[in-house]
Amino acid sequence: MPERRLVSWIAASCVMLVVLVAGCSSDRSDFPNRIQPDIHADGTKVLRKGNGSEPGTLDPHQASGVPAAGILQDLYEGLVITGHKGGILPADAKTWEISADRKTYTFHLRDNARWSNGAPVTAGDYVFSFRRMVDPKTASPYADIHAPIVNATAIINGDKTPATLGVKALDKHTLQIRLDKPTPFFLQTLAHVSSDPVYPPAVKKWGDAFTQPAHSVSNGAYQLKQWRVNDKIVLVRNRQYWDNAHTRIDQVEYYPIDNSKSELSRYQAGGLDWTYSVPAADLDAIKANIPKQLHTVPTLGIAYFGMNVTRAPFKDNRKLRLALSMALNRQVIVDKILRGGQIPAYSWIPTAVQGYDSVRYQWADWSDKRRDAMARKLYQEAGYSDQHPLKAEFLYPTGGIGKTLSLVAAAMWRKVLGVEITPRNEEWKVFLQTTRNQFDTQIFWGGWIGDYEDPNTFFSILNSHAALNYTGYHSAVYDKAQAASEHVPNGPQRTALMHTAEAALLHDAPLMPIFFWTNHHLIKPYVKGFVPNPLDNYYSKDLDIVPAGTASQTSPPPANDKQENH
Amino acid sequence: MMAYIVKRLLGAIPTIFILLTLTFALVHLAPGSPLDGDRPMTPEVRANLEAKYHMNEPLIQQYRRYLLNIAHLDFGTSFQYKNTSVNSLIAAGFPVSLTLGAAALALALALGIPLGMLAAVHQNHTADYGAMGLSLAGISVPNFVLGPLMVLVFAVYNDWLPAGGLDGWQSYVMPVLALAAMYVAYVTRLMRASTIEVLRSNYIRTARAKGLSGFRVFFVHVLPAALLPVVSFLGPAAAGILTGSVVVEQIFGIPGLGRFFVTGALNRDYTLVLGITLFYGIIIIGFNLLVDVIYGWLDPRVTY
Repeated sequence: MPERRLVSWIAASCVMLVVLVAGCSSDRSDFPNRIQPDIHADGTKVLRKGNGSEPGTLDPHQASGVPAAGILQDLYEGLVITGHKGGILPADAKTWEISADRKTYTFHLRDNARWSNGAPVTAGDYVFSFRRMVDPKTASPYADIHAPIVNATAIINGDKTPATLGVKALDKHTLQIRLDKPTPFFLQTLAHVSSDPVYPPAVKKWGDAFTQPAHSVSNGAYQLKQWRVNDKIVLVRNRQYWDNAHTRIDQVEYYPIDNSKSELSRYQAGGLDWTYSVPAADLDAIKANIPKQLHTVPTLGIAYFGMNVTRAPFKDNRKLRLALSMALNRQVIVDKILRGGQIPAYSWIPTAVQGYDSVRYQWADWSDKRRDAMARKLYQEAGYSDQHPLKAEFLYPTGGIGKTLSLVAAAMWRKVLGVEITPRNEEWKVFLQTTRNQFDTQIFWGGWIGDYEDPNTFFSILNSHAALNYTGYHSAVYDKAQAASEHVPNGPQRTALMHTAEAALLHDAPLMPIFFWTNHHLIKPYVKGFVPNPLDNYYSKDLDIVPAGTASQTSPPPANDKQENH
Repeated sequence: MMAYIVKRLLGAIPTIFILLTLTFALVHLAPGSPLDGDRPMTPEVRANLEAKYHMNEPLIQQYRRYLLNIAHLDFGTSFQYKNTSVNSLIAAGFPVSLTLGAAALALALALGIPLGMLAAVHQNHTADYGAMGLSLAGISVPNFVLGPLMVLVFAVYNDWLPAGGLDGWQSYVMPVLALAAMYVAYVTRLMRASTIEVLRSNYIRTARAKGLSGFRVFFVHVLPAALLPVVSFLGPAAAGILTGSVVVEQIFGIPGLGRFFVTGALNRDYTLVLGITLFYGIIIIGFNLLVDVIYGWLDPRVTY
């Protein structure tokens, strides 16, 4: 009896699994991937994008984070935008002039630039928006980007009123912006979403609620139709947009899916045309089955390990810091551990930043053996040995790749130097506080994603006054060169200043650059017009959806891609 | 009965008060501030934000202000979703969670009760083993395994159901199944055990001896008594389903309350966490009361 019972139980328990497995009876090497563009009967083309997490707000002056920025640049358009491959293109401003002293910018707005309710976009709207942006009452996380504008810093600090900001409407379509000092990357900062205009009457009437679909008035290629928190944000074509004739996609739907596995399932099932990210564990299967839909974008992002140079053991011990940095085999980390096409970092400025060649550690090109030997030598000179090993703590935020990297780094340091690392994780909010306070950190995980396309977005955060300088790094040489490079026109002189700063940083080694980020997107073959760019910024107005049938008439799908067309 | 309900409702007030006080203390004790973000802010901006959320006041005053607002049913503004009131977030998320939870609970009862009865009547026979095997599988397979597995089968390999999101009733099928599986299993086992017990009791033997039909014995005498443990399980089950929908909402991208709760806690969104805790508290207290009332109606031994 007991055996019969056991057998029956096992048999019954298998029922559910059998049912499930029955559905999976097709060949496991098969990688289902439905190709179904969402085109309504009336020809409305819908682009469905995975968008990471839910944006906290759609107010361009209060938003932060990539998910919000992606939506905002479809909704709003500033004076200029970034081009396909970086660089600056005219947007709301048709042309502009820069004064001889490079401190006054005069923008000429398009006559036909309109808000989604039909009202013209005026220079006055921009004055209102810039003042709102730097007003401490708005509490914009990006206000400091606009520090180059006359009086901006004083206004942000509450010492002057927003009305004193150096932004003036010369007439209805002419906007003048004055800067304290020449700033070579000023136009780049104007392409940031925090420089976008908001519609003054809506802000005045609705206050903070002007971002709600019922009240939203925007001047970009799209307008906000629906916002269901944690479900989707729907944008529709803004027919008043000055370049509406060239917009191809009628509707864009942003889905906040923070779990990349779920996102991949929805992409495969045909519910998404574009993913925000790709799970690292599935990269191999994707490369094997749908290589043409995988897009790898080197971005303006760096991952680094910071060291707290204000306290022992890293205070005044450059050799120790350098030894740890050299003992990390970045190529192994990138090729064997992360396997996502990241680029090993031996400098501070990502290779994706165009027009600047970084200073690199010369040991970047050494053999592993030679580098490890040098690391050991420095370690010993720093006063450590097998008998007296360095004992340090590695702090990383919970979730993400911090844990993996801390374990890999700890193993490498133990093997090469004999260092004993204690990994410690903290929840994100706690981690932010701990690293910011610099009291009890030793080695910590760090990352930075540039706000605009210029090396300064990386250099400025390590200035000794910068709030984001969590290592406590303080170098007169670096500070001087960095500050000077903010006001010299692009050219050999500026490059030399930046090289001085970067060389000082690499020499002092308050941090170890690990790798430069790459982002991955899966994009269905019928979505046309994708051009990777280092800011990983894509305007939906530049994209199109071309149904498979149409495409196959002009260019038949390649033979090795046949599995994609289920 | 009416007096009992009023008494219970009055008794709920101190419970909710204690819940609020404890949660308030806990969220403020947790390290990290809702104002901390990737980018540090200037002291001026921070001061402005603190004034906006009254965080510059002593904690006891913040607490008093919060209680006063709660009395007016105002849960405050969310920190994470700037410019959005917690009331509107709950109003948006709760109907979804409720639909999901109610459907899962209904499914758990609709499947679990007949399965349990079937197993009890055919004790130690094939039907029993089958039902118990299913319920064992339901308890053993967690929903974070069942969910993605179903997505793979029903959405990725076969185009039968949407892989996620919320578009029409089809979107609810897999989340409800994933959420209900464990509760179907519990209800089946509870129902089987209680039915077996009731079937063996003296009054059932008496009923049969009186010559009542099998049908009448079962549905009039056995069923109400056998249902009692299931009814008392409903209170904790409803609470568990409502608060436990977090994982399922995450897997299927469903915009319910559970996701707000988790992201709210991680982001130290004081107002959102407090608002949802309070809301859940009220729901659970209400549900327990409802269960007790049904209990009295089903079981003649219980009087109020």
